[in-house]
Amino acid sequence: MIPDRLESNLRQGFRESLLPKLGLVLLASILIMAIFAPVLATHNPTRTGYLDENGNSYPPLGTSYTTEIGQDGEFVEVEVESTSDHLLGTNDIGQDVFSRLVYGARTSMLVGLLGTGLAVLIGVPFGLISGYYGGRVDDAMMRIADTMLAFPSLVLALALIGVFGSAGFGIPDPLTRFGLIDGMPESTMLPGTVTVVVALVTWVWFARVARGEAMSVRNEEYVTAARSMGASNWTILFKHVLPNSLTPVIVLATIQVAAVILLESSLSFLGFSGTTLSWGYDISRGQGYQRTSWWISMVPGLGIVFAVIAVNLLGDWLRDALDPNIEGEGGGA
Amino acid sequence: MSIGKFLVKRLLQGVLVIWGVITIMFALRAVSPGDPANLIVGPAADPEIRDQVREQYGLNEPIYVQYVDYVQGMVTGDFGYSFQSSREVTTMVLERVPATLELAIAATIIAVVIAVPLGVISASRRNEPADYGATLFSLLGISTPNFWLGLMLILLFAVFLQDPMETYLGFSFPQGRRTVGFGEAVITLVTTGYAGDLLTWVRHITLPAITLGTYFTAMITRLTRSGMIDEFGKPYVTATEAKGIPYVLIRYKHVLRNTMIPIITVLGLQLGTLIGGAVITETVFNWPGLGDRLIQALNARDWPLMQGIIVFIALGFVLINIAVDALYATLDPRVTNE
Repeated sequence: MIPDRLESNLRQGFRESLLPKLGLVLLASILIMAIFAPVLATHNPTRTGYLDENGNSYPPLGTSYTTEIGQDGEFVEVEVESTSDHLLGTNDIGQDVFSRLVYGARTSMLVGLLGTGLAVLIGVPFGLISGYYGGRVDDAMMRIADTMLAFPSLVLALALIGVFGSAGFGIPDPLTRFGLIDGMPESTMLPGTVTVVVALVTWVWFARVARGEAMSVRNEEYVTAARSMGASNWTILFKHVLPNSLTPVIVLATIQVAAVILLESSLSFLGFSGTTLSWGYDISRGQGYQRTSWWISMVPGLGIVFAVIAVNLLGDWLRDALDPNIEGEGGGA
Repeated sequence: MSIGKFLVKRLLQGVLVIWGVITIMFALRAVSPGDPANLIVGPAADPEIRDQVREQYGLNEPIYVQYVDYVQGMVTGDFGYSFQSSREVTTMVLERVPATLELAIAATIIAVVIAVPLGVISASRRNEPADYGATLFSLLGISTPNFWLGLMLILLFAVFLQDPMETYLGFSFPQGRRTVGFGEAVITLVTTGYAGDLLTWVRHITLPAITLGTYFTAMITRLTRSGMIDEFGKPYVTATEAKGIPYVLIRYKHVLRNTMIPIITVLGLQLGTLIGGAVITETVFNWPGLGDRLIQALNARDWPLMQGIIVFIALGFVLINIAVDALYATLDPRVTNE
């Protein structure tokens, strides 16, 4: 899939720089968090009510804050101390912030990987056909792509969710389903609509790259040779052109995972994602409580930042080693 | 191909794209579940009144008639009436445009002013502390969701630092909705000589503009850096150096100019990100722009308003991209030969 020359580029890039290693470690940690969430979480992330006796949320370990409570018809200032039970404190309705951080990784990674995968499946065949056939087919298909590009991706995503709503479905979690771990959710909500929507608004970037590759290889000798041996256009496209176009697609896919994670978090921040166990949603929860409970928004945001940095570091490494001339969409948020 | 011909071709393509956008938006509404009459007068309304409403909004016509009406309306600038407020969508869109433009332009200015020098410094001092700093900043910038950045800036400046800033600097960044627009503030300044409104506007826009601009600052820094490093290796740089032209001149006049071309292209492509970013920044800061109104329209399922805003955004996006192409074509004559 990746030519030898580029493979040695990859190895060299990895050996000589600290950044790809850092990216790999970060991404591995986040994936472990996502996969083993029921093991790592200290509390059920959806359980509410972890509040002190006055109904105040706990601050992160080692910090405290003052707030006012009503007592005998008067406001009295009280100091709320942290508890070792809740490492990163609890949110406004008393959910454990650390456990939600761990579980939030699942939503981000699932949507990031599945959404990007789906975008590749739509965009790459579209681009290959467009670039390989050329002429009027290409013209018509590129006008469709232009139309898609005329929408900012977040705006189109919002419009699509406005129409189709935002449904999700539960994926059973083997760790909890078979009784290996108690007290954790038995399934993880995959925001299905959002996954499809992010693919629908980002596939066109893959189409552009695949088209360019198909155009550049369609007159190569091996394609002519295959044609002269009687291979059909489809055989040539998917057996010969596709494998030779994959390198830039891999690079773009990596960059796009970062963009999709940001897009998903924006949608759930705005309340359109169909799941409430997501970093973006948790950030919006803390919005009204900034003055005292700053951690409710800050913690999940750091989750997003680290996840996106991890993916971007790997993306930079792949891009530098494999293909310096690629344009992705970027953050969207 | 001359530049004129090239532009005509791009404009025709743009018209086609806008038609596509309008059609997609119409199709989305057509497949959208739920009776629009319910949204206008509520599901409990008298059937007679609902019929009347359907009649009034043209919802009883066959779908192709609705489509033709719709396209006709769009072409003449008539975007219909909002389901929720019954006001003209065109007015509701246009009155929100200035605030969004202010925000987008302020963010772009911040981005360009910071990013280009930062990229140049980073490229000229490769693998020195300044370069590492700029690289770290740009990595953080492209990886931070802007709505979170906005909240953290509010937390820092409008919560934690508000009192110290008031005490020591005599001003702080306000949290509430913006009270005065740029246009009005400038008019006040020109007619009465009172600058207070303009300063209020500046204090209001600072945090949102930084929020929206950070991603672009980071991206342009990266592009400038890598573009300059590529250019440094080219023979003409060695030649100008050999002629004894000062480094500063080479860097800023020759190398930077050649680097700007790809930067402008990528920026054109990234405008969608800027507009999408504006939508979410406006929600965080309660900024009275198009994005703020779009989210309201979505929550209320106010289709005409939502369609109007989205078509308007797409229109602006296409026009700006054509302008970018024109700029690109004048900077690099090779483009029109494609």
